[in-house]
Amino acid sequence: MQEGLKDAINSASGLKISDPAFMPSNANELVLMAHVVFGVVCMVSAVWVFAEVLHATEGNQARIRMVSRLAAAAMWLAFLVGGYWYVVFYKADKAIILKGPWPFAHSFFMETKEHLVIILLMLATYLPIAAANNLAASRDARRVVLWVAGLMVLMALMMDGDGAIIAMGVKVGLLAK
Amino acid sequence: MNSNPNQLTEGGISRNTKSFGLSLSLASVVNGLLVVAKEKSPAVMAGMQKLTGHHWVTHAVIVLGVFGIFGLALARLNGGNGPKTTAGGLIGLVVSGVLAGGVIIMGFYLLGG
Repeated sequence: MQEGLKDAINSASGLKISDPAFMPSNANELVLMAHVVFGVVCMVSAVWVFAEVLHATEGNQARIRMVSRLAAAAMWLAFLVGGYWYVVFYKADKAIILKGPWPFAHSFFMETKEHLVIILLMLATYLPIAAANNLAASRDARRVVLWVAGLMVLMALMMDGDGAIIAMGVKVGLLAK
Repeated sequence: MNSNPNQLTEGGISRNTKSFGLSLSLASVVNGLLVVAKEKSPAVMAGMQKLTGHHWVTHAVIVLGVFGIFGLALARLNGGNGPKTTAGGLIGLVVSGVLAGGVIIMGFYLLGG
């Protein structure tokens, strides 16, 4: 980390650079980027499942099940990586946000995101269960998967937006100094 | 007892689809209520903090535990055929559970937590 940036973060957050939240490498950013990448893979997979189920046949049923499992796996990775980042690294960002001009980036957006994401994780875990039915033969089974995949996409977009506002909260907190 | 979790029941929907759908709905509401409980009660927050070292980790474990345990338990109802519900009823419960959980959480923090 550059010295100027360290000083700015120290000053904005009130924490010391020796705090574990300040890693000497880029681990913080790499973990956060991995969280975002897995989250996007989950969202794209849910869109894929939704589109395929609209045209479900015997021919694409295996692919629907495979992509629904991909969505679940990506969401679990996003959750575990994001959870690790939240527990280990977020303390410094939180301090910067709360001292900056956008405290709501933490007090509303991070607080809601960290709890709503558990619902998204359950939906993603449920998707392969719902997709295991015979989608080609049953309209009811297709309706269940469409609703679950649709909810996943909406919630994933919401999580993405929340993440952007949280990142902006850190940025304006640093710029304000 | 029916031992095949994917065996189709009413409407071509398996018992696991029904049981875990209902369990998802329940766990979403529990998720929201747990937020209110821990934010309003310092004792609950401290207890959750103590259990795993971080309140959020404990929170996630409890909610995911409810989802898993109730999903497995509900699948055993009706001689192993799972809960009796239609696709419309299942979808309604999943959507309303997710919305209720979301509204509790967002409403709580919107009103100042």
